[in-house]
Amino acid sequence: MKSLWVFHVNTGACNGCDIEILDVLIPYYDIERLGVKLVPTPRHAHALLVTGPLTRQAYHAAKMAYEAMPPKPRIVIAVGTCACSGGIFHDSYALRREYRESLEYPLKGGTSEFLPVHLYIPGCPPRPEEILYGIALLKNIVEKKVRGELFREGTFVLPRESFNAWVEVLLRARIRKELGYFDGYSLLRRFMELVESSESKEELEKLVEKTINDEGDSRLRYGLEKLYSYYLEVVRTYEGILAAKRALVGLPK
Amino acid sequence: MTKAYPFEPEEAPPEYRGIPRIDPVLCIGCGACANACPPNAILRIDDPENGTRRIVLDVGRCIRCARCEEVCPTGAVRLTAEFEAATDDRNDHVEIVELRLARCRGCGKYTCYTERQVEKVLSLIPRGILDFDRVREKLPLCSECKLKLTVLNATKFGEVEP
Ligand code: SF4
Ligand code: SF4
Ligand code: SF4
Repeated sequence: MKSLWVFHVNTGACNGCDIEILDVLIPYYDIERLGVKLVPTPRHAHALLVTGPLTRQAYHAAKMAYEAMPPKPRIVIAVGTCACSGGIFHDSYALRREYRESLEYPLKGGTSEFLPVHLYIPGCPPRPEEILYGIALLKNIVEKKVRGELFREGTFVLPRESFNAWVEVLLRARIRKELGYFDGYSLLRRFMELVESSESKEELEKLVEKTINDEGDSRLRYGLEKLYSYYLEVVRTYEGILAAKRALVGLPK
Repeated sequence: MTKAYPFEPEEAPPEYRGIPRIDPVLCIGCGACANACPPNAILRIDDPENGTRRIVLDVGRCIRCARCEEVCPTGAVRLTAEFEAATDDRNDHVEIVELRLARCRGCGKYTCYTERQVEKVLSLIPRGILDFDRVREKLPLCSECKLKLTVLNATKFGEVEP
């Protein structure tokens, strides 16, 4: 098929996905290059662009739009996680959905509850490139990238030896409070590498100082300082417990 | 200027929240991610008969909030910068990690945690503080055997072996 005329139906979306559909129509992304045109009535449409998790109210309108389309090719494209599987609204009281056991996968919901869907574009919302990619996939311009995977028990790696693993767990909780997970965890990974690469306490101190001086971002500098002070605190506590236990049991040093 | 995108490859910015992926080398099957995931995109499915646990990640239900990345204790599940997840078959969105459950030392039945979880917990005990071998001896017990042991320990003085 050369050109795809689409009709856009919102079945209860939060509007995030609808905005992204507008985005792909602007000259910067320009989905019309691929022959896609937004038409104002389903009678002219080859494809139905469905967003939203399919509320009970929207169900009838969406069904009417689908039936009004010409019988061929009648393509249905689910845009957004909501339309693919229900998304964040998957267990809302307002949705039209079948009752099912909760442990079935792939998870059901959204548009596939009532229509045969030809293309799923997940994302909440999908970025304009994702929608472009989906349409290109439909027109065989690009290759499919995702694949279902099943990993059975294979190799297992514990990233750190016991003391450092314990320290990491304690530092993780604290750095998350300071910097959040995104910067915090990557900073913690950097810090743990420093800890593992240094042999002695003095070397670690020098390494940390050097890293702090080289770091341009003041938030990360602050985070590194905090991490180092927490690290020293944890090591002190550990040595304190060990000394107390030795004194209690009467073990030699 | 119009982007050349579908005809030219494109990378998302580094902080972009793309689809999540579980690293099967690091995952211990604790199910923290399944617990935290707001739209239930990650399922934890236990099969006590065959002794397996499946962590099932469905990218087509994921809203990319990164709660899983935040709670994962091993850093196994991470949001990648991949965004090209469109497909015509929903089965393509499913990633499964299957792990073995640990066997109970007392009765031999499968417990409700995996072998990797046991290893991970043991690896977290810093040497010298706890009696390492005694912990290792007691660890793989199912909840029933643990209950019995607790009752036995409570009714007798001194410790009782399982
Ligand atoms: S997928 Fe996300 S952005 Fe799109 S309609 Fe649903 S909640 Fe809104
Ligand atoms: S939280 Fe991490 S380690 Fe636990 S099951 Fe999920 S991916 Fe695996
Ligand atoms: S990013 Fe959010 S929605 Fe996606 S799997 Fe992780 S916790 Fe679930």
